[in-house]
Amino acid sequence: MTEQHRDSIRVALAGQPNVGKSTVFNLLTGLSQHVGNWPGKTVEQKAGTCEFDSLTFDVVDLPGTYSLSANSPEELIAREYIIREKPDVVVAIVNAATLERSLYLVAELLALGVPLVIGLNMIDVAEQQGLTIETHVLEAALGVPVVPMVATKGLGLRELLARVQDIACDGAEYQPNEPDIRADHKQVLQLIENLIGSYVPEEYPATWVALKILEGDEQITRLMRPRLPEGTWKEVADIIGQHEDACVAVASGRYSWIARMVRAAVVRPKIGPITLTDRLDRWATHPLWGLVILVAILAVTFALTYALGSPLQELLDRHIVGGLASLATSILGSAPAWLLSLVVDGAIHGVGTVLTFFPILLIFFAVLGILEDVGYMARAAYVMDRFMHLMGLHGKSFLPLFLGFGCNVPAVMGSRVVESPRARLLTILVAPLVPCTARMAVIAFLAPVFFRTPTLISWGLLTLNLSVLVLAGLLLNRVILRGERVAFIMELPLYHLPNWHTIAIGIWQRLMSFVEKAGTIILGVSLVIWGLSQFPGGTLETSWMASLGRRLQPIGSLMGLDWRMMVALLSSFIAKENAVATLGVLFGQTESEASIAVALRAAVTPSAALAFLVMQMLFIPCVATVSAIKQETASWRWPAFAVLFLLVVSLVGGLATYRLAALFGLG
Amino acid sequence: MLFDLLEMLRCGGTHTLKDMARQLDVSELLVQSMIDELVRLGYLKLTAQACAGSCEGCPVAGCCAVGSEGRLWTLTEVGRRALQTQES
Repeated sequence: MTEQHRDSIRVALAGQPNVGKSTVFNLLTGLSQHVGNWPGKTVEQKAGTCEFDSLTFDVVDLPGTYSLSANSPEELIAREYIIREKPDVVVAIVNAATLERSLYLVAELLALGVPLVIGLNMIDVAEQQGLTIETHVLEAALGVPVVPMVATKGLGLRELLARVQDIACDGAEYQPNEPDIRADHKQVLQLIENLIGSYVPEEYPATWVALKILEGDEQITRLMRPRLPEGTWKEVADIIGQHEDACVAVASGRYSWIARMVRAAVVRPKIGPITLTDRLDRWATHPLWGLVILVAILAVTFALTYALGSPLQELLDRHIVGGLASLATSILGSAPAWLLSLVVDGAIHGVGTVLTFFPILLIFFAVLGILEDVGYMARAAYVMDRFMHLMGLHGKSFLPLFLGFGCNVPAVMGSRVVESPRARLLTILVAPLVPCTARMAVIAFLAPVFFRTPTLISWGLLTLNLSVLVLAGLLLNRVILRGERVAFIMELPLYHLPNWHTIAIGIWQRLMSFVEKAGTIILGVSLVIWGLSQFPGGTLETSWMASLGRRLQPIGSLMGLDWRMMVALLSSFIAKENAVATLGVLFGQTESEASIAVALRAAVTPSAALAFLVMQMLFIPCVATVSAIKQETASWRWPAFAVLFLLVVSLVGGLATYRLAALFGLG
Repeated sequence: MLFDLLEMLRCGGTHTLKDMARQLDVSELLVQSMIDELVRLGYLKLTAQACAGSCEGCPVAGCCAVGSEGRLWTLTEVGRRALQTQES
């Protein structure tokens, strides 16, 4: 132990941003500080002095950095200062509440071999978060003095200065516990150190230089290259080339070290769920219960839709659609018959019927919006992915597919996040099988017309769709992908109370885009359908529509569907909601005042209706989705395949349903 | 430690930060730091980052079912190769 008489001690203050380094610096140096620039740089330099125990401390505030790599001027300045100026002590300020991050810089500082004192700041914040840091344990583990501090309250400063003095003057017992490089790379490090050792400039620690070269540090590599004979450099380069992942090995060693330190010295309040989020997630992300919860939430959504939505829809149908129809009839009483028919049968019954979706969509969007805002959607996505994983389908594809629940078009476009072209293709082909809100709305409209338990039916159809999706995915996976595997890490955000403002805006946006769609595409199609169902003869039976429908009649009759239902199915190619609009036009043209629901029930048996709904769910994608597929796959081959594939799937599904339903005596 | 994290991604599937923290017997904060490091080193990358919180400017916001705030990372080509090297 050497005792040195000193008048002044040179101290460098290091630390990551947001650890309270500036507070410490200001408290130490007060008015004595002067601000300038680091020589030759635009980075600010602060330095000052501090008097303590008849000693002068010359304090330099190093730029705040997360590490000491060569990636930023601040980091280069910090490490160059330590290497060249060789301060007597480096004080590293760390944040007690985020030790896992703060200690990274300490790991780098220890590798430089400079005398270190740790200022364990923000103890108060750590305590607030329920963390207890055992300072003595940390000190023993690190092998370096650790001083607990609360800089904002001026606590711990004197002890800090005292420990700095100890280290500088008394050469106190100092045995730092440095991080090790990962075992399998230790030899490599030694090799490099042996090769370059004699060429390292005096002020640089040889082991540190070897470490940096292994890490691929640009500045050090540039420094050493000209100093090494060609042969030696080549040997070094070879070694680096053989160990591409050396930088990970180096960083890995630091993280293992940090984990050991934290495990030793940090006491967390409790093991297991500590927050509400954790407690809820025990269930929400459980392999079994998570799925059950998801399924239950979907069931509740449907139940709500029918409990609230259907009655409202009926009201809208009777009063708005019916009312508008009567209004139009009275206003246009003297107009030509075709105009009246155009307006009432075409526009009002077509678009109007779709607009009665409003209550249903409102409820869907509201539930979706709340689940999103509360943070549940991430759990739902996670659960679905794990479930798909069990089925053999996994990876990045689930995210774009999940978008499909709103609309298939973003699901197709969202497949861009999938890198592998094959997996992307599989995602795109399977996306149309995700039941979109438009299709669900059609079900919501038709199910109550035919069935006493529309919730069960909807839920069953949804399950059917997802099952077909999984099966199709498995099949295509086998054929196209040959079982490629992709992995994800996912962050589950905290649950939080819903922000009604955000949710309301979301619902509004979605409803408005629906209205826009209704006002343009659906109106257009309704009028076209109306036109096709009028001309050339003037009655439904003699129209073009009828002749097209009759051509499809043979297929339809296999499932108990008449030509009008087939035409409705076809029209869903333009937009899924059109199925309802078309039914509105075609079935609303009856002589009697009976509503469309009654007319439908008269024309279609329940088993045929079920077959229709199944076909509707599995049918070819709407034209928007098909064009999205064309766009994303840059060819007509795949959209054609998708259309053909789904045509077959839906026909098979419809037939099977009809037969099975008849078998079970559905009628 | 970093390779242990990458190793967990070998068999595919989705892992939450919490799962990984539990398996590695470290805090979630450390897992987060390690993920950031692996991103910096080019072994991992953020995927659906574009989706997180930018619904206002998105053209399909009107019909999107997901607006989740959670970030999603996946292996890069470099990361995948590293895992393969580990295998041999």
